[in-house]
Amino acid sequence: MPPKQTKGEYIETDTGNKVSRKSVILGSQNIILGGKTIIQADCTIRGDLRRTVAPGQHSGNVAIAVGRYCFLSRSSVLRPPGRTHQKTFSYYPMKIGDHVFVGEGSVVEAALIGSYVHIAKDCVIGKFTIIKDCVRIEEGTVVAPNTVIPSFSLVSGRPGVVIDELPETAQEGLELKNLYRMI
Amino acid sequence: MAPRSITYSFPTVHISCPCDESIAITPKSPTKPSAPAALEEDLEESEEEETFDPRAPRSNFSLFPLDNLLYCEDCNQIRCPRCVHDEIVCFFCPNCLFEVPSSTVKSEGNRCTRNCFSCPICFASLVVTPTGEEQAGPYILLCNHCLWSSAEIGIEFEKPTSIAAQLAQKLKPPSLARAPSGSFTSPLSPMSASSESYFPSMGAPTIITPDDEVDKKELSPEERFIKLKAHYAQQRAGAGADEYGSSPGALSRLMGLYSGLGSGSRSRSFGRGIGGFSNTGGKGKPEWTEWDTVKEIGDDEEELVERIKEVGFAGTASKEQRIAQSHQPRFIQDLKPLAALLRTKRSKRCRACRHILVKPESKLTTIRFRIKLVAMNYIPALSISRLDPTAFNYVALTPLSTHQFLLTITNPLFDPINVTLATPAKTPGNYPSTVTILCPTFEVGANTDVWDEALQTATNTPTPTIKKGRKTGMLIGTVWDMGRNWTTVVIEIVPPLLPLPGELDEDGNELATEDDRVVQVPVSVRVVYETDLERDDGGLGKEAKEKREHTYWSVLGLGRISEKMPTKAAEDAAGPSAARPMSLVSAPGKSVIGRGSAGEEVSGNKNRHSVR
Repeated sequence: MPPKQTKGEYIETDTGNKVSRKSVILGSQNIILGGKTIIQADCTIRGDLRRTVAPGQHSGNVAIAVGRYCFLSRSSVLRPPGRTHQKTFSYYPMKIGDHVFVGEGSVVEAALIGSYVHIAKDCVIGKFTIIKDCVRIEEGTVVAPNTVIPSFSLVSGRPGVVIDELPETAQEGLELKNLYRMI
Repeated sequence: MAPRSITYSFPTVHISCPCDESIAITPKSPTKPSAPAALEEDLEESEEEETFDPRAPRSNFSLFPLDNLLYCEDCNQIRCPRCVHDEIVCFFCPNCLFEVPSSTVKSEGNRCTRNCFSCPICFASLVVTPTGEEQAGPYILLCNHCLWSSAEIGIEFEKPTSIAAQLAQKLKPPSLARAPSGSFTSPLSPMSASSESYFPSMGAPTIITPDDEVDKKELSPEERFIKLKAHYAQQRAGAGADEYGSSPGALSRLMGLYSGLGSGSRSRSFGRGIGGFSNTGGKGKPEWTEWDTVKEIGDDEEELVERIKEVGFAGTASKEQRIAQSHQPRFIQDLKPLAALLRTKRSKRCRACRHILVKPESKLTTIRFRIKLVAMNYIPALSISRLDPTAFNYVALTPLSTHQFLLTITNPLFDPINVTLATPAKTPGNYPSTVTILCPTFEVGANTDVWDEALQTATNTPTPTIKKGRKTGMLIGTVWDMGRNWTTVVIEIVPPLLPLPGELDEDGNELATEDDRVVQVPVSVRVVYETDLERDDGGLGKEAKEKREHTYWSVLGLGRISEKMPTKAAEDAAGPSAARPMSLVSAPGKSVIGRGSAGEEVSGNKNRHSVR
C-alpha cells in the first residue's frame, strides 16, 4: 500500500481522477480517464501515439481509454501498440477496463486490458496483448506480444504463461475502491 | 499453492479445511441447539480437541487461503478445492477464446483446432506471419518472444487459415500417406503379443502377418495414433450393435468393449484372446497377431549419440520442452509447435450434499457467477500486521525478543459475532515459539449496509496507525482497536534461538531446517452468533433467533526467524519484554492460553550460547 501522499501532489479532476503533477502525460486530448483513476508520479502516458491517418480523413482521436478505479503506480508506462500494416506504420488505441492496477516500473503496450486486472511491478506487457477480466500478473513477468490471456489466470515467467487459475473470489480481491480511498 | 506461499511471503493466513479428518463427510445439521448449556458443553469439547499441527505432513494439503475456500450452506462447513466436485460447463481455447463443443473435444482432443499454437521452445504463443512480399504467403508460425519460427523445422503454410489442419497434413509421415487406411490391423496386437509371454501356456498363437511392410517398422506416434483411432472407431461401431451379456467375467466384458464381441468376423484383436484364455469365449478361436519385431536398442542409441555430437548440448531439448510434446523428442530440431490446450469453465458441487456451490454464467466472456458461495462471505477473515510498522523484516525475526503483531478479525456476517481465539502456548515443532494472544475473547460488530460504510469512511477507516488513546489495548483482556465490523487484538511471539544453518547433529542431519525457521502459529477460531431464523415464507421474525457456531483452525505464518544471534541490545530488549508478560499473567485475565515460560527459555538459550 502506498503511503498517504502530501496534499497538493495530485490534481483532481471533476470525475475524481487524481493525476500526479510529476507524471508525464503526452497528448492529453487523446486520453480518456473514466474517473477515480490515480496516476502517480513519474508515470508516462503516451496519448500522442495515435493512429496515423491519410490527410483529410477524420480519425477517432482516442489513443488511450482508461476505466474507473484504475491505479497507475510510479514510473509505469502506458504506450499504445504500433505496427506496420500495408506499408504504413500506425499506432492502435489501447483500452483499459475498471479496477486495473499497474505496478511500479511496468511497461504496458497491450491492445486491451479487461477489468480487475493486477499487473505487479516490473512487468512488460507486449504489444497487442489482450488481457481479459480477472487476471493477476506476477512481478517481473514479460508477456510476449500478441498474447491472449483468458479470465481467471495467474500469469508468471519470461515469457509470461498461465501458471494457475484464480479462485472465484478473484474479483473481490482485485477491486481497487479501497486503494482509491487511501490516496 | 499453499506450501509456496507459506514459505516465501509473510505474513500469511491459511485456513485448515477439516475434510481430511472426516473422510466420510456427513452433512451436519445446520442448526445447533440454542441452549447455552449445550454450548458450554461444546466449548469444553472443542478445548479437548487436538491442536492443529501446521508442520504435520498432511497439513500442507488442508491449508488454503480464505480466497480459495467455498462454503456449503447446507452442511455449514468450509469446502476446499479437495472436497468439491468440478463439473465442466464449457471448453474454450485460451488463445482464440472460442468455445469448443464437448463433442469436438471428444473427437478432436482437448487442443485448439484453429490457429492457436504455442512455441515449443519458450511456450509463448505463436503468430501466423507472412514471409512473402506484400503480406502474402508462404506463412510461418513465429514466436514473438524467442523468435523461433516453424521455418526452422521446415514447415511453411500456403494459407494463413486453418493452420492446425495444414500442420497435421505436414506432420503426417510419408509412410502413412502411402499406406491405405483400409488395411486395418488392430493396434492392440502388440499387447496380445506380450500377453503371450505372460501366459506361455497358451501355446503358439496363430500368427497373422500384417500384409504391409510398413507395419513391421517402428511406428511413429502419429501413425500409431491414427491407427488406434481408426480401430476404436470401428470397435465402437461394432460394439454398439451388441450386448455384453455373453461374456462372464468383468475383465472380459471390459475387454469386449474394446474388441467388439459381436463383430467377431471383423475383429481379430486380443479381446478374443482373453475370452479364449478363460475358455468361456465360446465363439471362435483365439487369434494372435505379431505386431512388432524386437527393437535392437544398441543401434538406436549409437545414432542418438552421433546426433548429440553433431548438434551439441544446445541442440537438445530441455525436460520441459520434451514433456510438452506428445512424442518426447530429444532434439530441438524435432520439436513441433504445440496446439493450445483448451481450458474449462467449471461449476462446483459440495461433495457431501451435492449442492451447487459455484456456478458460472455459461457465456464464455463474462466473469459473473449465478451461484457463488465463497467462504469469505461466511467466516470471519483474519489479517496480520505489525504493531510498529516501522522498517521491519518479516523474513528475519530476531530470536528471543518479543514481537507484537496485530490480528484483525473482520466479520462478513450481518450479525455481530462472538469470537474466541485459542492457541497453544508453544507452537508445534522442534523449536517452538511462545505465543500469547492478549485478548482471546471479544465481539466483532455486524457487517452493516455498504452505504453505512460509505458514510462512515471519513471517520472510521481502519488504519494501521497507532491511536494514542487506545494504548490501554496492551492490557490483557482488552482489545487493541475495533471498528464497525472488525476488531484488532495483539498477539505476541517470542521466537526461539535456532542452531545456525550448517550445524549438524551426530547423524549428520542439519539441526534446524529452513522449515523450522518459519514461525507458524495455529489458532483455533470459534465464532458464535445469533441470527434470524431463515423462514420459508421469506419473512424475518425478530423473536425467531437461532444460535450458530463455527470453529476452524487457521495458521498464521508470522515470519522467518533470523539466523543472526541476537545482539547485546536485542537481548536487553528481550529481557524486559520477557519480564513484562509476567506482570500480565498476574493480571486477572481470562486468557485460555497459559503464558509460556519465556524467561526460562531465554536463560536456557543463553547457556547454550555461552557453551558455543
